[in-house]
Amino acid sequence: MTIKQGAVASRITRLGRRGCDLIESLGRAGVFLAQSAVGVPSAEGIRLWIRQLHFVGVLSLAIVLVSGLFIGMVLALQGYTILIDFGAEDALGQMVALSLLRELAPVVAALLFAGRAGSALTAEIGLMKATEQLTSMEMIGVDPLRRVVAPRFWAGVVALPILTVGFSVVGIWGGYLVGVEWLGVFEGSYWSNMQASVGFINDIGNGMIKSVVFAVVVTWIAVFQGYDLMPTSEGISRATTRTVVYSSLAVLGLDFILTAVMFGGL
Amino acid sequence: MSTVPFIEVENLYFSRGDSEIFRGVNMTIPRGKVTAIMGPSGTGKTTLLKLIGGQLTPDKGRVLIDGDDVHRLSRKALFALRKRMGMLFQSGALFSDLDVYENVAFPLRVHTDLPDAMIRDLVLLKLQAVGLRGARHLTPAELSGGMARRVALARAVALDPELILYDEPFVGQDPISMGVLVQLIKRLNQALNLTSVVVSHDIKETLTIADYLYFISEGHVVAHGTPADLDANQDARVKQFIHGEPDGPVPFHYPASAFYPDMLGDTVIQGDAK
Repeated sequence: MTIKQGAVASRITRLGRRGCDLIESLGRAGVFLAQSAVGVPSAEGIRLWIRQLHFVGVLSLAIVLVSGLFIGMVLALQGYTILIDFGAEDALGQMVALSLLRELAPVVAALLFAGRAGSALTAEIGLMKATEQLTSMEMIGVDPLRRVVAPRFWAGVVALPILTVGFSVVGIWGGYLVGVEWLGVFEGSYWSNMQASVGFINDIGNGMIKSVVFAVVVTWIAVFQGYDLMPTSEGISRATTRTVVYSSLAVLGLDFILTAVMFGGL
Repeated sequence: MSTVPFIEVENLYFSRGDSEIFRGVNMTIPRGKVTAIMGPSGTGKTTLLKLIGGQLTPDKGRVLIDGDDVHRLSRKALFALRKRMGMLFQSGALFSDLDVYENVAFPLRVHTDLPDAMIRDLVLLKLQAVGLRGARHLTPAELSGGMARRVALARAVALDPELILYDEPFVGQDPISMGVLVQLIKRLNQALNLTSVVVSHDIKETLTIADYLYFISEGHVVAHGTPADLDANQDARVKQFIHGEPDGPVPFHYPASAFYPDMLGDTVIQGDAK
């Protein structure tokens, strides 16, 4: 084999190995999810879950609501300048509500959640691993998957859809502030057009389904990255970055697929 | 007291990645005694404890604890067995979200249905034994390294285990807390009739508390015996370790190419050579 052929072959080998590593880690992540998330919680488990709900949910409220407000306001501003050209500014409420409920609230809330709560979950679990807390828990005879991972996973799965609802509500209100209070769209048409066009199942329901899917994926990535990382300071920083990157890509990619299935007539 | 050994390690093989860590380790650890496992850093002493605790699975061979093959137990049976053993980690590994009191109470709360008043009594007794009853409200972040290790010890004995595994209990301690820990390990072992396994490379401390020692090097047990036996051992590896000689079978230099050509830039470093 010439040197060039050798280099090509080794590159192909590397690619293959990467593929195998990827499939293997997907398998590990799947087993990990099954072992930690499935099962009947104890009273203690519920107490831990409520505590985590506070950490990942309540403490993420501020960033999610403020972002929702601004996004609603920007939507109304941009929508108004386009709709006014067609004399259709009465449809502003409909536009703001549909964009938020179908797309922006689930996606943006999930991205913010990945940055705010997901990275914190990864770092926390990772640090527990690095300081042998998970091992010592195992040696005490308590399964860290049930005790540490499960409450955090379920807290994330419950918190994100609720945050998404808050995001939508505040966003619609932000649109109202800009559209009606500032730009002078007629208040009656803002709300009644919204009421007439937003379907409960088709828009709100589909948006919520998206949000639940994102919640599962983002929290799963976060807890798995924390549990699976190399227990060093470098490993923790890398895993935290990976959580945010993988979560964002997964959310945006899944959003396209879900949108295609829900609204694209597939 | 039964004379059947508490732990039997039979022909244990373990490798991590490409490096073989154990190549046929055999050990018997008697009941009610302090057994020390010594050896240079990087010989896998901590790994051996993890194999005994069932956190790692060997490639070959088995570990029997009180007659049960640790690696053939179901997850449930393994967790039940672990209730009978305590482990003291190098870092202490206290739960950072709980205070000292709750850390010691943790095993009691998860494994027993005792009322709070009883748990309080037990926790305070264990903390009294390690001299930290007054520190019960501190968080792990507020403890010094030695105190953290003592709290961890109180937690390890909270359920009155039959076996305690100590992972490098003396590393990074000042002479005072070192003395305290030596005392504690000895006293606890006698008072509670425990079986203790101490992994360490602190010779002086280990020789004072151990009833029996195993010396591991290059994946094998190279020597074992009482402290006096090991002190008199003529094996070069054991001698170098016990007497702390900088050069010997464990070389001072990491493997490298010849020194002069390397310095003159005539040669590539061994690892790069194809």
